Amino acid sequence: MATTTATITLASSDIADNAISISNTATLSKANSTSGLDKTSGLRRRTLAATTSVDLIQLDHFQETGEVITENTAAKVYIKNIGTSTAEHVKVCIGQEDADADTEEIGRLYGGDWMFFPWAAVWTSADHNSNEDIYVIPSSADSVTLEWMVIYE
Amino acid sequence: MATTTATITLASTDLLSDSLSLSSTSTLYDAGTTTGLTQYDMGRVVVPSSDTNSILIDATAAGDDKAARVYVANKNTDEAHYVVISMNGTTIGRLYSGDWMFIPWSQTDASADVEVYCPAALSTTCIVEYAVFHQGKTFSAA
Repeated sequence: MATTTATITLASSDIADNAISISNTATLSKANSTSGLDKTSGLRRRTLAATTSVDLIQLDHFQETGEVITENTAAKVYIKNIGTSTAEHVKVCIGQEDADADTEEIGRLYGGDWMFFPWAAVWTSADHNSNEDIYVIPSSADSVTLEWMVIYE
Repeated sequence: MATTTATITLASTDLLSDSLSLSSTSTLYDAGTTTGLTQYDMGRVVVPSSDTNSILIDATAAGDDKAARVYVANKNTDEAHYVVISMNGTTIGRLYSGDWMFIPWSQTDASADVEVYCPAALSTTCIVEYAVFHQGKTFSAA
């Protein structure tokens, strides 16, 4: 069992009359357990240079390599846009590629932005279009690099 | 203009053969600018036991395609207690007790709400804290 912690600090001294400071540390555990998540994709990096949709985190890739992500448990995803442009972004979506009705845009990562979220990781078949993958769509054909990691059971 | 920062630190000494120590800080800006977000909403709610999604954070037209950042935390302490987080009916994932999430939020339309439920099978309620930093929202008529 591993012990992995994720800490967030949200801070502002001037968004309101009083300062805001939210801090929280989660110890990343398996579902219904106090045992720590013990698998990871490792930190990966991918550079994109087109405005087409890219299947950034493919559930089927994990299936094919035997590193199955157990669906509907406690997997966590970290993604960061390591670019510096605050004018250009990368849309992050969850769902089935090429099936707009079943794909939801979560949000847009501008240069320097990061996100961390739980992932249901629902795998249905070897067809990428059937799974709840994580897709990204750059707003520009200019080169942009993302770093990402999955921690799972 | 305000300056609001979000910092994450991921740390482990035994997930990998070498220590993991990742830290990143972003400043929360209006979409496509270097102007800081100036509005926020925060709350703490008790989510009833139910298998039906409820709106935790309501998407509005004024937020459509603007910048927003959402923080949600499950404050229950029993390791079996989780909430399911969805957006516009699409399941994102489960937040177990003590877990938190932080995401950008596009509000692509008025249905792109951040939704939550505390499964009926748990036979309990779930305490959820949340914050949303944003560029604006549409107010409901009185």
